Amino acid sequence: MTTSKPNWIFCVAASITIAVAFSGRLAGQTAAVESSAGGGSGTEWSVQVKRIDSGDLGLAHSFQVAIYENLLEELTKTKRFKQVLREGDGKAGELPNLLILKTTVVKYTRGSETQRAVTTVSGATKLTVQSQLITRDGKIVLDRTVQGNVRFFGSNLRATHNLARNIAKVITQSAWPGSERLARNSPVNPDRGRHTSPAS
Amino acid sequence: MNRFLVVRKGQRRFFVRRVLIDVCALWLSASVAALAQSTAPALKANQPFSIRATHVVGLPNTKSNCKGTLSTQDNVLRFQQSGKTIAQVDIASVRDVFLGEEEMQVGGLPMKIGKTAAPYGGGRVVSLFAHKKYDTLTLEFVDSNGGLHGAIFQVTKGQGELVKNELVARGVSSRSGEDQLTKQSTSEVAYDDK
Repeated sequence: MTTSKPNWIFCVAASITIAVAFSGRLAGQTAAVESSAGGGSGTEWSVQVKRIDSGDLGLAHSFQVAIYENLLEELTKTKRFKQVLREGDGKAGELPNLLILKTTVVKYTRGSETQRAVTTVSGATKLTVQSQLITRDGKIVLDRTVQGNVRFFGSNLRATHNLARNIAKVITQSAWPGSERLARNSPVNPDRGRHTSPAS
Repeated sequence: MNRFLVVRKGQRRFFVRRVLIDVCALWLSASVAALAQSTAPALKANQPFSIRATHVVGLPNTKSNCKGTLSTQDNVLRFQQSGKTIAQVDIASVRDVFLGEEEMQVGGLPMKIGKTAAPYGGGRVVSLFAHKKYDTLTLEFVDSNGGLHGAIFQVTKGQGELVKNELVARGVSSRSGEDQLTKQSTSEVAYDDK
């Protein structure tokens, strides 16, 4: 009875040691695979944001500029790109892996802050845009339709902030040929139930 | 009795004269106020000016919704907060200036909480009247690398036009039609070719 107890403890301790050792080894292997995938096949891209194309929708210039500026800010926050450049930036010519973000407004509903405050249910400002990531040679690597709106609180311009955040989120969650995310085989979640047109 | 009548007559005359004076004073003050409104601060071209403005978005190293003073001096457009220059833009680098008009609810967060807490939908009634119009001033300018920047300011209604005129006088181009665009009625428009 007294001799069997130390044996039992020894067995448990040995199995725990083996389990810990194996898990550490597996984790090390995963990290090695990830680092090789990230540093090797994944290309670090930069992005140049083009000015917003509002078409014939009559979107005010303040909205166009707000979307453009908020996009630059949100894309910088994601840290997905090596550099986030503005339209016309001279540095764009020197960068080898450059994507161009083209944003076209496809739908715009002008709301009213007062109407929202009085009725709660009406007066929402809604913006729907088509965002395309295009390579230098004109190949579209990402094409998504994204919405941004302000329904309850906040000024009308807040819709532009929400829209830019949504575009940045979609880009972060997407993958394209040569992107770091695709190289890692990470799961891709295309823009969460919104109507999406696939990349051509 | 006669003496009493004389006194009452005198009082009546005094009362009529006083009413006349009051009406004249009221009319005079109203006309002066109207004159002051119609001849709102006129700025002469190429003279330094300074107005209160709220930076919405776009200026480098400046927080959003930051209140300050927008001024021009020596061909530079400055945004200052409590006398300290936060950001400045060379007027020569400004490509376009646009003017728009927006409406906002006044009172900020305290007012919002108060309106929410008001019983029987009283907050909604307050919201009907607690709003004001303001001008949005949108600038497009380029940096030293040629990169396009945009900056948006909120200014008191009427002052946006003055700033725009000032910038146009200094050689900045201004596209018309912004007012028309921003004042359009609520309507949904969409591309059909999508």
